[in-house]
Amino acid sequence: MELLKIEDRNLFYSGHAACPGCVEALAMRHILNTLGPNTIAVVPPSCTAIICGAQPCNSLQIPVYQTTLESSAAAASGVRRALDAKGKHDTTVIVMAGDGGTYDIGFQALSSAVERNEDMIYFCFDNEGYMNTGAQKSSATPLYAATGSTPAGKPSKKKNLTEIMAAHEIPYAATATPAHLADLVRKVEKAKNIRGTRVITILIPCLPGWGLADDAGIASARLAVDTGVFPLYEVEDGYRYTLNQADRTRPVQDYLTMQKRYRHLSAEELEEVQAAVDRSWARLVERSTAVPVE
Amino acid sequence: MNKPVPAIWTTQTTEVVRTGSWRLALPEYVNPPAPCHNACPVDGNIAVWIRHIENRNFRDAWLTLIDNNPFPAVTGRICHRPCESPCNRGQLDEPLAIRNLERFIGDTALEEDWSFPEAPVSKEEQIAIVGGGPAGLAATFHLRRLGYAVTLIESQPELGGVLRYGIPRYRLPKSILDGEIQRILKLGVNVRTNTRISTQPDFEKLRSEFAAVYIATGATVPKRLSQLDYSQPWVIESASYLEQTNAGANPQSGARIVVIGGGSAAMDVARTARRLGKEVTVLALETEPLMPAQRDEVLEAKDEGITLIDGAMLQSIADHPQQGLELTCVKAEFAAGAERGEFSVTPVPATDFTVNADTIVPAIGQDPDISGLQDLLETEDALVRINERQQTSCDGFFAGGDLVATQRFVTVAFGSGKLAATEIDRFLQSGAPTRDLLPQPEVSIDVINTSYHPRVSRAEPQLVPSNERQAVFDEVELGLSVDEVLAEAQRCFSCGNCTFCDNCFYFCPDMAITREGNGYSVDGDFCKGCGLCVSECPTGSIIMRQETQ
Amino acid sequence: MTDSGTRILLTGNHAVAWGARLARPKFMACYPITPQTPILEKLTDFQTAGKLDTEILTPESEHSAMAACISASLTGVRVFTATSCQGLLLMHEMLHYASGARAPIVMCNVNRTVASPWAFWPDQTDSLAQRDTGWIQFYSESGQESLDTVIQAFRIAEQVTNPVLINQDAFYISHALEPVDVPAQETVDQYLPPFQPEHFLDPKRGESLGNVVSQEMFCQHRKDISKAMERAISVAEESDAEWQRLVGRGYGIIEAYRCEDAELVITTMGSMCGTVRHAVDEMRSRGRAVGLLKVRLFRPFPVDALREALAGIPDVLVLDRNCSPGTGGVLHQELKGALYGLADAPRIHGYLAGVGGVNVPPGKIEEFVDQVQQSEPAIHSVWAG
Repeated sequence: MELLKIEDRNLFYSGHAACPGCVEALAMRHILNTLGPNTIAVVPPSCTAIICGAQPCNSLQIPVYQTTLESSAAAASGVRRALDAKGKHDTTVIVMAGDGGTYDIGFQALSSAVERNEDMIYFCFDNEGYMNTGAQKSSATPLYAATGSTPAGKPSKKKNLTEIMAAHEIPYAATATPAHLADLVRKVEKAKNIRGTRVITILIPCLPGWGLADDAGIASARLAVDTGVFPLYEVEDGYRYTLNQADRTRPVQDYLTMQKRYRHLSAEELEEVQAAVDRSWARLVERSTAVPVE
Repeated sequence: MNKPVPAIWTTQTTEVVRTGSWRLALPEYVNPPAPCHNACPVDGNIAVWIRHIENRNFRDAWLTLIDNNPFPAVTGRICHRPCESPCNRGQLDEPLAIRNLERFIGDTALEEDWSFPEAPVSKEEQIAIVGGGPAGLAATFHLRRLGYAVTLIESQPELGGVLRYGIPRYRLPKSILDGEIQRILKLGVNVRTNTRISTQPDFEKLRSEFAAVYIATGATVPKRLSQLDYSQPWVIESASYLEQTNAGANPQSGARIVVIGGGSAAMDVARTARRLGKEVTVLALETEPLMPAQRDEVLEAKDEGITLIDGAMLQSIADHPQQGLELTCVKAEFAAGAERGEFSVTPVPATDFTVNADTIVPAIGQDPDISGLQDLLETEDALVRINERQQTSCDGFFAGGDLVATQRFVTVAFGSGKLAATEIDRFLQSGAPTRDLLPQPEVSIDVINTSYHPRVSRAEPQLVPSNERQAVFDEVELGLSVDEVLAEAQRCFSCGNCTFCDNCFYFCPDMAITREGNGYSVDGDFCKGCGLCVSECPTGSIIMRQETQ
Repeated sequence: MTDSGTRILLTGNHAVAWGARLARPKFMACYPITPQTPILEKLTDFQTAGKLDTEILTPESEHSAMAACISASLTGVRVFTATSCQGLLLMHEMLHYASGARAPIVMCNVNRTVASPWAFWPDQTDSLAQRDTGWIQFYSESGQESLDTVIQAFRIAEQVTNPVLINQDAFYISHALEPVDVPAQETVDQYLPPFQPEHFLDPKRGESLGNVVSQEMFCQHRKDISKAMERAISVAEESDAEWQRLVGRGYGIIEAYRCEDAELVITTMGSMCGTVRHAVDEMRSRGRAVGLLKVRLFRPFPVDALREALAGIPDVLVLDRNCSPGTGGVLHQELKGALYGLADAPRIHGYLAGVGGVNVPPGKIEEFVDQVQQSEPAIHSVWAG
């Protein structure tokens, strides 16, 4: 068995208000462990904001600036430039935002920051919906998933943030999950040593939002990867693809049936979802095995 | 008046919020028995010594092993491995090759000449053990470690019983057996070989000289087939055949040998006879899958060119001067009875056939010789009756091994001897029985998170090719290499035994699990009771304990 | 006066750019919009020429620009930005955010008509619609005044820990060319100490901003902001007096021009003050007792100063180059509120003059004075040409 070896730097304190079993809090813990204390985080309204604590308490040892929902990437740019003006080029600036503040209302600011190649690491905690306000749909919600605003299942597909970031040709875009901690830590460490905009999208199974038991967050994330629904991969400079998993080992059904938000799925819809996953997997394999034109 | 709390800029951490008040259950670290442990006749702590192997601490593995079994090199070759079928790993891919790992440790110990820790005599009472076979040898070892002086009495010239006189060298080399026996004797044992204790006066005299007597004289009286005339020169009893061949002799027999029986002894005889150049047929009452011999033995026997006729019985024999023996046999339906050893046999009509032979070796099992004990102790059928304390009906006399049970396995006999040692100690030191622990439910595959155990095939030991086995009595099954052993040890789930992988520590979103000393502790102030630690545990060493508020 | 400045022919926008440059901001996030663009362009020119050591961020919208300004300010650096009409409106959420976060940003807004419909003319509705956002607001009459006010604004902002908005009218001020006295860098350095906030984002300090608060905390915070606003009046006066001492130019938070024994005082803000000043001189030369009361500091609304200045004046005519539908001229409403209950209060006439950028020449203002002196004040603001 591969043993985890992560230096625990005690930068995240107990007593925070995440739901029991919340794997977003878990991801935050290990992101901070990897980045270390010379970091400033920008956080929009989100579960992350609640996890940061209620005034005057802070669950993170690093400074956190909470901005408005649209403006994470812009606010982080402000922090970055101000630090640079002060000569503090080694302080890492990160964003920890949800999918709402990234794929939707925050998308414009993100695209702009990315176009400017602002020096920051942008972590999107993708729990596939506006979970903090009670699980309404976002453009990160997958096809057919039931949410507070799409009770019969979302009629449209999930946006692919990593591919959009790749199209912006940022130095580093990657996917990760809290179930694959060694992989997550490796990617954060790698990102830390790159300059420019780095975007890591982390799949966060939301227990109340997706309909999972308190202890099922890690298992669900693991299945997302094993079924190919959320493949682990990296894209450097927009064209060098690296797939971090050898293959898919489970059918999509195994991942979907664990979640209440897919209970209503018909057999045809399930087939459609499997076919879509098959197609996007094939595309990913093609890109990761192609010899890039340099 | 207190300064109001500022609305912007934080001043402290969230640790003032005791989120432990949210939960309904708290994780608890447990150590339930692994299925292999429960199945092991010597109560071996298998997961623990395999983990020592994984950590390359071979000596610690050996010390853990010998706590329950002083003969790992022996059992590593011949144990019937009841531990491997319930092995939880088998439900993922294949069970652990536990016996092969044990053999590696046993062999390493012999190669490195490791000795048992010293066992000084610390108690006044002296114990006599009658029978230097597996049960008696095990009892000797455990009693010495408990601090008793032991006198070991054996009727044969050498110690070992079935290990020396029954099991052939290609399964258990004599040097291995001698090495492990010698190590026990090095603890300081008073050995009397060539000494038969068989009559009631013999036993009573022994009882008067010793604080307790353990009788483990085994099962040496062959069962007999009514269809066979044992006075004939072409009948050789299996025990006699094996005793002679194990001593290096070649018993007088014709070229064609028919072995009657389906157990290990029958296989031992058949494969020995093959090595002596005989044409061998085995006639087993049971169908092949139900033969009591270990499966490996049957397969190896067939590889060696032995003809197996299963599901059949002997009806009569005709002795022809030119052709030799003509055995008339018939197919039979064999049904095992409710009790071990009980069975019913129904010949199938119109399935007669004949087999030609020169010599018949019946190997249908043995019974204990209780002739000298019947007036001393209570017996039942052919066995001495004991209670759960291993005590016979006569005060101060304990019994074990093949003498008391129909389960004819060496490892069961080792376990029997170990249990007797504990019970003799309890008998002598307090006299009053102490409460036994209730068995704990064993670890099931459901609590093992198998995603941390990638599929890896089981290590398979090399076998000497069958065409190289003719006429030699060298070992057939070879040991695993160090690399194979280490790789195999990594396959162990370590059921119920924490391996300090730190998963629980790393997967807690609330930092409520901390490393403490030799393990972990749960911070009740902050644990929200989510159970992620339990679901990500790869060994089944944590449970959620419901709390009452 | 100790300043050894230079005199340059500058537009209002370029004067603002000079004021900003001299204040040594370390961060600017700016999005171009007519008629503010020359401010941004001048500042980037200064930076490219090595005259301005600052980070200039050009994001994709004004909302993002203000978002970046706030976080940069809270990271502990001096921040400047500029915008106009639609951009200011788009920033609205972030304006509230800035004052709530106590970020001492200085921003110049060029007053331009707000859409829809689309237009480019001077009108003060854009900034007046932000009067509840907690920003200190100045209205400037000239390019010179804009330059001086930008510099004063940093001192005020940093002393009361509150953002400041300086407004100047589109084209009349922003694009009109005038000789402007540009103070020396040393003078400004003397006037503006380095920015050293009490709290800022820093890994060594570990303090965070924005965590959710309780009702009591929120209420207390609004009280604190209100107190800062109250203090801003005296701080603004003191800052102006000190600037006067250093460079010889001061403007007061309000200015009473030829109001002694006036029978009618015209009150207005921004470029209109210049036109009124001219009209007052004309009328005074013909014996009419008319004065100008210029409101320079609009937020906090200088209630005490206005009550003192206008007590005993028979008539006040408010000229609003803005319109808040449903209530009329904003200055008209605010002034009525400020003077309520004053013994010896004037009759207040409110005229909506110049809304949408309609030209109001000095002759027109005389006409207004004639009309007003012959009629009772209307309760509502009156549309006047």
